[in-house]
Amino acid sequence: MSRLVKKSPSVCTDLPLDNADICNKLRLMRELLGSCYGPTGRLKQIHNNIGGRVVTTSSSSVLLPAIASSEPFVNLIRTSILHHVRRFGDCGLFAAIFCLSLVEQAKQSGLRAKAVIRSNEHLASLCTDYLKQGGCGCKVKLDLCSGRDLVALARSVVSSKPACVLTEPECVHISRLAVRAFLLTVPCDTPGSVSLGQTVRVSVEGLPVTHSAVVPGLLVDTAEDVYLSQPCSLPHPLVLFSASLAGDLSELGDGLIEVHPRVDSDSQVLSQLLELGNQVVRDGVKVFVCQKVIHPVLQLYLTSHGVTVVERLGVTLMEPLIQLTGAQPVATLHSAVQPTAYGQVGGLSVRRFGSKTMLHLQACGESAICTIILCHRNETMLNELKVTCQKAEHVLRLALREPSALRGGGCTETHLAAYSKSEVPALGRGCSQTEYLRAAEAFCRSLESVARSLEHDGGTSTIDPTHAHRWTRPSDVATERRGVGAGCCGCGSLDGRETWTSAEFPPADLLRDASVQPGVLDSFTAKLNALQVAVETANLALDVRYVIRDVN
Amino acid sequence: MLGSAVLNSRQHIGLQRVSALAETVRSSVGPNKKYKFIQDDTSGESVLVCSCFRIIESLEPTCAVGQLVLETVQAHHKVYRSGSGCLLLLAGAWSRAALDCLHRGISVTNIISFMSEGMDICLDVCKESTVLFEDLAVTGRRTAAPRGVEKTFTEAPQGSRHMQRATKSDDMTPNMSVRRKTKLSRHFCETTLHLDEPDVPGVSHAAEMLSHGCEGSMKLVVEAFQLQSKKNQELRNPMFDISKVMTCVLPGLPEGRACVLHGCVVLLSHEQVSVAHQIKERRLKVAFINGDLTHTYRHLGFKKPPGVQPVSERSVPSGSSKEDEWLEKVVEVFLSLEVNLILTTGLACESLIQTCCRHRILLVERVNSPALRLIANSSGALPVTYPTQLSEHCVGTGVQIFIWTDLSSYGRKPAAAVNISTGGGVGLVTAVITSCVDGKLQALEDQFWACAHRLHHALKDRVLLPGAGATEMLCIHHLQKAAERHSQADADRAQETKTGTAAGLHRGHVLQLMADGLIDYITTVTVNAGRFSAVEARTVVSRQLQNFHRDQIMAGKFSQLALEAEGDASADKTPAARIYDNLSVKQEAWRKALDLVFLVLQTDAEVITGTGRKGEDNLMLL
Repeated sequence: MSRLVKKSPSVCTDLPLDNADICNKLRLMRELLGSCYGPTGRLKQIHNNIGGRVVTTSSSSVLLPAIASSEPFVNLIRTSILHHVRRFGDCGLFAAIFCLSLVEQAKQSGLRAKAVIRSNEHLASLCTDYLKQGGCGCKVKLDLCSGRDLVALARSVVSSKPACVLTEPECVHISRLAVRAFLLTVPCDTPGSVSLGQTVRVSVEGLPVTHSAVVPGLLVDTAEDVYLSQPCSLPHPLVLFSASLAGDLSELGDGLIEVHPRVDSDSQVLSQLLELGNQVVRDGVKVFVCQKVIHPVLQLYLTSHGVTVVERLGVTLMEPLIQLTGAQPVATLHSAVQPTAYGQVGGLSVRRFGSKTMLHLQACGESAICTIILCHRNETMLNELKVTCQKAEHVLRLALREPSALRGGGCTETHLAAYSKSEVPALGRGCSQTEYLRAAEAFCRSLESVARSLEHDGGTSTIDPTHAHRWTRPSDVATERRGVGAGCCGCGSLDGRETWTSAEFPPADLLRDASVQPGVLDSFTAKLNALQVAVETANLALDVRYVIRDVN
Repeated sequence: MLGSAVLNSRQHIGLQRVSALAETVRSSVGPNKKYKFIQDDTSGESVLVCSCFRIIESLEPTCAVGQLVLETVQAHHKVYRSGSGCLLLLAGAWSRAALDCLHRGISVTNIISFMSEGMDICLDVCKESTVLFEDLAVTGRRTAAPRGVEKTFTEAPQGSRHMQRATKSDDMTPNMSVRRKTKLSRHFCETTLHLDEPDVPGVSHAAEMLSHGCEGSMKLVVEAFQLQSKKNQELRNPMFDISKVMTCVLPGLPEGRACVLHGCVVLLSHEQVSVAHQIKERRLKVAFINGDLTHTYRHLGFKKPPGVQPVSERSVPSGSSKEDEWLEKVVEVFLSLEVNLILTTGLACESLIQTCCRHRILLVERVNSPALRLIANSSGALPVTYPTQLSEHCVGTGVQIFIWTDLSSYGRKPAAAVNISTGGGVGLVTAVITSCVDGKLQALEDQFWACAHRLHHALKDRVLLPGAGATEMLCIHHLQKAAERHSQADADRAQETKTGTAAGLHRGHVLQLMADGLIDYITTVTVNAGRFSAVEARTVVSRQLQNFHRDQIMAGKFSQLALEAEGDASADKTPAARIYDNLSVKQEAWRKALDLVFLVLQTDAEVITGTGRKGEDNLMLL
């Protein structure tokens, strides 16, 4: 018996930005993300309503996927920021806060959406052009020949994640490791187009942070009593299987198989496996690696013939291992292994980190694969540390493409705001001068509000008119001013002794003292893109007229 | 859908929760523990717990902060097996300190930086007040002082210098005086090397000082250590390899029967015991199986194809079932290899056990897999997954079994505890823990492991800390001094300029609160020792502190505190019987406690995903 249920009509929301509920949700999201921003940001505990695992974090890459909203309009903004984070790894919170406050400011200003969109577009292109210029006041050239700049860049990323709970020396140690790992992934003397290698992260819980280390080559989990083949002849030939060697018929997939009761499929597959093992041993292979499970009989056969066996490698380690050894993964056990599929391993040893026993595979010659072992006292902090290191690596890679950085600590934002204010309005179509000026004011306020979001302890943020940098005055007078002398600005390149004089743009040239490097650096590429993403997303959000939802 | 609840205000709920959780273990901190019943109202089940770790584990805190607390404690317990109470109590005390700071309007950033500073002070104090393990060991064994001791003397000044710096009165330093005595001892001058002496010098004595009220368990641990070190004659650098120590709990026997044996101990059923009697004390051929001994068992990762259907043109006469076929094959393998003993990590099917018994083959199920690996290694065997894989070179020899005790029970209960030993140098030892009270076994096992880990870490660190509150006292002293210094410096500055920041004042305040947390800890331990009430304990502690401030007495005097509290029995003990703590355990527990406080302190909101239902009014929905 069938029953027809009438389809309920779609729900249409007119002008979503005029909807109080949506506005509240946007404000909540801005507060939520804004309170996570920066080195003194607050943490969020994420768990599900039935009491799942608790994740404590303040990084956008963990937070954004978790805060899915019931409102498609909010999700539109969230996903667009999330895409930026996946692509560039950094400045996700910046993009989110900037975008949300652009929307909020535009709403408050009461201007026509079209006018705001046009001015925002203009201002964004003004800012990006300015940032790309050589003489930009908030850009710093990175010296890739010295490690100092790279460490400073990595440190800004590491220190901006308070959930790692790192002390100062630990923070420096991790930053150095991140840079060392990054340098190991840059191939030394490859002619032609260079492709970067890979860093594999291994985490060990319970050891002090200072035990973290970087090793060239790969570390793979292995059994306690792994058999090591004798180091008689280096390099060792290696074979890598991506097919399961468990001896089952899993390759056949679903569906019904009809077999004769006398047929023992298990033993037939096993004999196939042993034949494979036989061939591999004849070919002189010393290391046998499988992404999945290896049948214990085959394992015993191989070890008794002096082969080191690694099973359950996992899909994430396949690519790095292929790069390291030059092996071609074998995807079937039903044909003989091609001689070209074999790879080579330069060194083989067992290393122990805390409770973990790992097999250390080294490359034959140069290789751009390295492993970073991250240690921390508890799992929550370790997880955040892993995310942070990944972010640092991403930022360092971006710096290779464009060797510059932006002043961190909110100084770039305030500087850009000052710059945008000073520019003569270029009148465009459909936007009057007054409208442009008011939209520009909202734009600058949004930029400044991002800078202000760095302060979480109730201190006041000020902008000096001379250099347009950001300064904070702590709320409790107890705060020892950080840095040298009587405090310094957000990025750490100016100290309080400077006198503030002019209020004109371009702000006083900082380049006269080139030796003063800012202490806090942001990734240039990531921030530039974040700026564009934020403005484009905000413009799109402002342009949405109807939200139509199918509620069936 | 997603909800978000704001935690943070001046009344930080998260910190209050940590503090509340910490209160649950207050009465179980310290060496004198009382048993507690934890009852589940919904299921009516109850459990008898003793240690702080078991309390918090059995309470199963469900809130987000509770989970974080549990995770931290579990991580600590996994590595150290002791110090969970210290971790929890301090986390609670420092959470209250942080709350107090928030009330006074000190910013979160500053609380964190000042508290980390305080932690650095404490860790420095720990580093400086360490005592070399050898020094303690010497006090125990003045007579037989083998080579290891001479090395101690060359190294000793280093240790004592730490002591002097920390205490400024070397004359009274116990280890110094003892050492002097040792030097003058004529035994020492006449010492010949007692290499046949199995005990590593003084370890048992030092272990006694680490027992923290579990003398019985520590005695077992020392026995285990001595059995193990008999095998490796590494006297200079003795190590206690706890990965080669197993436990076997046996209900129904008096606690006095607890002992330590070589190899591993397994419980056997009635019919197996008769086989065991027939083959005992002989050198046996043995096979090792990783996995179950049933015909359906397949190794881990093997997927059965979902849709296999047997088809045939005519019905096949099913004379014997698959299981019988398999059974026949397996027994044939065993018989052809002439094995007498089979150890498996998994289960075996009943019919196989029966058949094996008939053929005088002893099949032991559920052997701990590290133990299996160690015995296999020492007997030169290779563990395999399927019995059909067995061949001559997979089989080991030289394993012996001894009937440890006949439990002579009926029904399905195990009938005997059998000791499987290789007699060889693997160093695998098993502690048999017995008790008449079933519910107590868990606590006794925990105690054993706590003691084992303490000895292990003491030998690994090679240094110890004066215990019974002495180190904490020293830390409190240093924290309070630093707090005073900051407040004073700030007062001076304020007088001069009238605009001096309150930085020093705040810093002093935070350090003072941290010290108060430690005072709370010592007081709790003293109260739990049972002789003082809370008020009295507080008075005693503060009097001690005042004395300490006045004339900077040596750290040693403090250790009397908890001993005093332990009652009259300890009063007439020799001064050598003092209490010591592990350096690494204490440092890690403190640091983890502070980590926990920092994580919670910095958290201002809880994001709950998947809240579909209405009714949670205090949540903001996104």
